[in-house]
Amino acid sequence: MSVNGNRQLLEVEDLVVQYAVARGLIGAVRRTPRQSVHAVDGVTLSVRAGELLALVGESGCGKTTTAQAVLRLVDAVSGTIRFEGREITRLGARSLRPLRRRMQIVYQDPYESLDPRLRVQATVEEPLLIHGLGGSKAERTERVRAALARVELSPPELFLDRFPHELSGGQRQRVAIAAGLVLEPRLLVADEPVSMLDVSVRAGVLHLLNGLRESGLGILMITHDLSTAARFADRIAVMYLGRIVEEGAAREIVRNPQHPYTKALLSVVPRRDPRDRMRPQILSGETPDAVRIPSGCRFHPRCPVAIEECRDHDPLLRRPHKAETPEHRAACILA
Amino acid sequence: MRGADYVIKRTAFAVITVFVAVTINFALFRLAPGSAISNLSRVPHATQELREALKREFGLDKSKGAQYAIYLKQLAHGNLGVSFENQQPVSHNLWEALKNTLPMVLLGTVFAIVFGTLTGVIAAWRRGTALEGATVTTALGFYSMPTHWLGLMLVILFTGVLPTGGMANDFLINPSFWTHLKDVLSHMVLPSLTLGLVLYGEYTLIVRSAMLETLGEDYILTARAKGLKPWAIVRKHALRNAMLPIATLVALSLGYIVAGAILIETVFSWPGIGRAVYDAVLQRDYPMLQGAFLLLTISVVFFNLVADLLYFKLDPRITT
Repeated sequence: MSVNGNRQLLEVEDLVVQYAVARGLIGAVRRTPRQSVHAVDGVTLSVRAGELLALVGESGCGKTTTAQAVLRLVDAVSGTIRFEGREITRLGARSLRPLRRRMQIVYQDPYESLDPRLRVQATVEEPLLIHGLGGSKAERTERVRAALARVELSPPELFLDRFPHELSGGQRQRVAIAAGLVLEPRLLVADEPVSMLDVSVRAGVLHLLNGLRESGLGILMITHDLSTAARFADRIAVMYLGRIVEEGAAREIVRNPQHPYTKALLSVVPRRDPRDRMRPQILSGETPDAVRIPSGCRFHPRCPVAIEECRDHDPLLRRPHKAETPEHRAACILA
Repeated sequence: MRGADYVIKRTAFAVITVFVAVTINFALFRLAPGSAISNLSRVPHATQELREALKREFGLDKSKGAQYAIYLKQLAHGNLGVSFENQQPVSHNLWEALKNTLPMVLLGTVFAIVFGTLTGVIAAWRRGTALEGATVTTALGFYSMPTHWLGLMLVILFTGVLPTGGMANDFLINPSFWTHLKDVLSHMVLPSLTLGLVLYGEYTLIVRSAMLETLGEDYILTARAKGLKPWAIVRKHALRNAMLPIATLVALSLGYIVAGAILIETVFSWPGIGRAVYDAVLQRDYPMLQGAFLLLTISVVFFNLVADLLYFKLDPRITT
């Protein structure tokens, strides 16, 4: 890999994102204090070039908000985001624009992320036009073709003049990825890139992402599917209610989970060997409301092993006693 | 090929709709109580013979079926009949009225489209701000005002400042072209403004909701992530996609404008289609009414067709 192959591409520290909850007329009249959703509540993570970090968690835990905040599509309340060593947390829209070239996003739903009125050629070409890249029309077309070929939409000629509605879900997602890649970004944020796709085309898209990672792209993949993460990610970060509760090398997280939440998630992943008896640990209740976050450890109301102390002690991420690799971190006082 | 199919199908459908409407028009007026000669019977010296003669002259002595057949045959020849009221061909009357209505309606509509789209887009883009609140409240206010009431209010407000009735100053003798144009335009301001304000409210709300829908789509977020400037996002992605519902609704509402002008033209004594319909109703002038309704029907059906074809042009998904 390149010289800075090991340099941090993206560093996020103590990121906090909150959304205000509308009070409604009665609330405004009564002057009830404004409440806010603590969508992301102190997240620290990092992605290196050529690394795939999987951010795993249930729906509503703040994964997508994290992804959007990292790209400055929503504003952080506090914390810092550094991209290629440069702090971008408070950069204005104007100074951010040139950086956008090097960080791109792929969304969950390829049926919505492509403008239905643009042909594939226009969709993939647009980023080049925005950033004034690619020179002449012919050169741009060449780059569009290259990007399409890179996402294995070949021959590209077959796809250039098509509209999104003429493509399958997997093809659309590849077009979305191509539109991200045409700028040759360093960081790709993939927000549940395969969850809306048929199982049969998932593997193809994941292998594609894997190949891109090997060519030096840093990828932050948001997913709720631990088995996907285990198969493709270098590292896994498990998120619960706006915070990362466990992170470490993918292998270590899967083989030696320390946080009870991770254990519960893993217990429901089907085993390859049917004789392997699984004891699924179904968590009771729903993810609590992010407006009223439980006191102490935020997982304690659903935790199967919670003790009295968990009610008022908010655990920090630290190296668990039974950790087998140095990078392993978990936020549980019992680990 | 599919495109041609679509156009032919839509057009055929429009023609059938017009035919059905023609039939209903014919039947409707003959179901209404009273007849063209019922007013005449109040004339003290009207004899039975005179009434019979009039009935024959207007063809009212024939059976309803025969009247219908004659009507269709004449219609096919482009003959809308002769007005009971002024003995002129209906088509001539309608054309004269339409010539007066169109510029007034057009001015109001253009005003509404331009300002409605502008404020609608701004309201959607500045969602949640006081600006949006003010825009939506204003638009809702105008949209919900009865047209004739708004017209009357404007008459009260602008009496003495602008002409409030008629289409030209009858006391100008042999005016030069420019004086005449200025005169007509000044008469046109209030009726056009009335129509424009009501439509403005409607268009603002339509554009805003269509824009909000597209602004919530993922491809808008994608465009932002790619570094597109906010205004370019509105223009290139949001507005273009929002054009689908906007174009349809605007085209549809254009169809009703001619009919909707009845109230405005009555308030402002504008000698257009609306006034012609109003007078024809009072006079039981069947050929005139039939002609006017046919015109209104055709304009609604025509703009529906325009909307369909526009949709076809704007939405790539329709072709397949």
